[in-house]
Amino acid sequence: MAKEKLSGAEIVVDELKNEGVEVAFGIPGGVLLDLYEVLYKEDAVRHILMRHEQCAAHAADGYARVSGKTGVCIATSGPGATNLVTGLANASMDSVPVVALTGQVPTSAIGSNAFQEASTFTITMPVTKYNFLVTRTKDLPKVIHNAFYIANTGRKGVVLIDLPKDVLATKAEVDLHPKETFAGYKPNIKPNQIQIKKAVEALVNAERPLILAGGGIISADAAEELRHLAEFLGAPVVTTLMGKGAIPEGHPFSLGMAGMHGRIYANRAINECDALLAVGTRFSDRLTGWQLDQFAPDATLIHVDIDAAEINKNVQVDIPIVGDVKLALADIIKWLEKKKRTAGTNENVWVQRIRKMHSACEECIKDVRREGTSQSDMLIKELNRILDDDTIITTEVGQCQMFAAHYYMTKKPRTFVTSGGLGTMGFGFPAAIGAKVAAPDKKVVDIAGDGSFLMTCQDLATCVESDIPVVVCIFDNRYLGMVRQWQELFFEKRYSQTGLGVTPDFVKLAEAFSCYGERVEKPEDLKDALHNAFESGKPAVIDMVVDKEDKILPMIPPGGGVIGMIGTERCTRI
Amino acid sequence: MHTHIISLLVEDHPGVLTRMSGMFTMRGINITSLTVSPCEKEGLSRMTVAIEGSESELEQVRKQLSNLIEVVKVVDLAEKKAIIRDLCLMKVHVKDSNARSTVMQLAESYGAKIVDATLDSLIIELTEEPKTIDRFLELMKHFGVKQSFRTGVTAIGIGAGVEK
Ligand SMILES: Cc1ncc(C[n+]2csc(CCOP(=O)(O)OP(=O)(O)O)c2C)c(N)n1
Ligand SMILES: [Mg+2]
Repeated sequence: MAKEKLSGAEIVVDELKNEGVEVAFGIPGGVLLDLYEVLYKEDAVRHILMRHEQCAAHAADGYARVSGKTGVCIATSGPGATNLVTGLANASMDSVPVVALTGQVPTSAIGSNAFQEASTFTITMPVTKYNFLVTRTKDLPKVIHNAFYIANTGRKGVVLIDLPKDVLATKAEVDLHPKETFAGYKPNIKPNQIQIKKAVEALVNAERPLILAGGGIISADAAEELRHLAEFLGAPVVTTLMGKGAIPEGHPFSLGMAGMHGRIYANRAINECDALLAVGTRFSDRLTGWQLDQFAPDATLIHVDIDAAEINKNVQVDIPIVGDVKLALADIIKWLEKKKRTAGTNENVWVQRIRKMHSACEECIKDVRREGTSQSDMLIKELNRILDDDTIITTEVGQCQMFAAHYYMTKKPRTFVTSGGLGTMGFGFPAAIGAKVAAPDKKVVDIAGDGSFLMTCQDLATCVESDIPVVVCIFDNRYLGMVRQWQELFFEKRYSQTGLGVTPDFVKLAEAFSCYGERVEKPEDLKDALHNAFESGKPAVIDMVVDKEDKILPMIPPGGGVIGMIGTERCTRI
Repeated sequence: MHTHIISLLVEDHPGVLTRMSGMFTMRGINITSLTVSPCEKEGLSRMTVAIEGSESELEQVRKQLSNLIEVVKVVDLAEKKAIIRDLCLMKVHVKDSNARSTVMQLAESYGAKIVDATLDSLIIELTEEPKTIDRFLELMKHFGVKQSFRTGVTAIGIGAGVEK
């Protein structure tokens, strides 16, 4: 394109449009006046004014998880940028593509403790995949192009661009829309075919194959391939928390989520399999537990991941495959189709066992009147019946999150949005805002805890002002419940600082923000309340009263392994 | 535990050194030395990192380094296949002429240079493999090392080949 003389702010907005950015979540400030002036004049990029920068980052994160596109957030220098940090760390931990733009004091003032100066570049380095401090207006086109390229390729992640005030204000003659990228950045995507063939060999020779699906499947849009492979191979699938939605829960080959708060038989299957195909997962301790000798001890371990640095990091694998998960699965299927399974007669034993495991867990999830059932799991079971498969669930962090992860039947990829790696209380609600912006025609429900919701609830104002009708369902147990559960189980009920005492009247809180509010005392009343909430067309808060000392069980206790779950009394024995 | 030397070709961006050292800090890896210098390719710098660690730690480091956006090339320099050098400047106390001549003889046999002298001290420069410098410094301690400065290792693969 021809050279044009534009201000830095004009270049930024032009390049954002060129990258296909439709929406940005942010809060302005002094050093960003030039940028917001351009946003005021341009209507190509929709700006959603948030009420806290942490929420701007979480909203961009939620938007990205639901749409697959790169989420964009904007914050001013100093406190604006430091407020973003939690949100950036959260997106980084879960490999979500986000580009953050931050204002900075003028280049001449950098390092002088100027008003609202913080060293955003150094502060955010450990919580980003890459970051830039731009010092010349003419560098902007290349910087912005590379920011988006880096964020949404390879192992996806967060890129931050720090924009000093003078860089935004100064005019420069630039070539817009460059294509040039960094020599050192070559996101490795094509899997090695020799490794693929080794994996195929191991899979066809296995008697008890199992697939472990992580968030990488969702991020690479490989759910179709996964399902095809599972069906073709006759292998059951367990998922990680981030992998929820990779295969429809309820599918005969789905054993649900494994790990610390996963299903007992998902964990058993990991222990019993003789070939484990782990795809797009990093074997976090929340999945494996701490007794690694219980984790697939007899299995040939095949690990497919886009990030070579994840191979052999937490568990030693037999057949590593580095590359794009979607391509790798397609390759495995291609080679597999040329082979006949040679597994022995025990194959049927495994199929039978999987069938039993599957129905034992499904039974537990469907049966509302089951012995030991509490309000908390009944509420999620109700949600399963009320909500359609396209509904997007976001979660806060705590028991509420694990009740949702354990009992909610996720049917499609990108419909279960949760803070996996960082475990950030306060994430679910702003993530729901981003999700609703990405998918305005779908219902969006945040499964919240009373503690978590109070961390970011001020953004109800955003929902009202920008007409983003999400529904927050609060598990109101008046406790920081997950921590309380650990105190109950492992610290003899000494509830140190976990009681929330008199929590606000969430219905009135909703009304104070001009939202819809309703209290639900009994799980069976949830249906009407949700109906009313959706009918109101407003952002809504449903305050669900739950047993104060409910526990999410079974669980792998600290130090335990996949076959050492405690609290399995409620589980069907097979 | 072994010392490993990794040679990196990196894009010469602002902050690249912070990013590099941050990566090591974040992962709890101790670096024994780190040197940076321009190289024959414009816009690129060469870094030499010496780290202590097990084979599996090294593997992690190598992969994490490759993941850094600015890192164009990571080469693991095995000790036997590389020329490894460190430069040391030291100020040695020589209390009398006896000590002075012994120090000068030792310096000569190690191929070190006397670069400055006063009545009771010598400044010695030695460019050698780190182990040899260690030994020389150990010897000099008998006389009194007032100060010593080392640049950290730099290394190059032997033979005519170059990494692509
Ligand atoms: C920002 C943040 N602070 C602290 C924690 C530690 N933490 C984990 S779960 C939890 C309790 C969450 O309480 P609530 O939102 O009420 O959910 P509940 O467990 O009661 O369902 C706490 C404090 C965290 N994960 N995130
Ligand atoms: Mg609570």
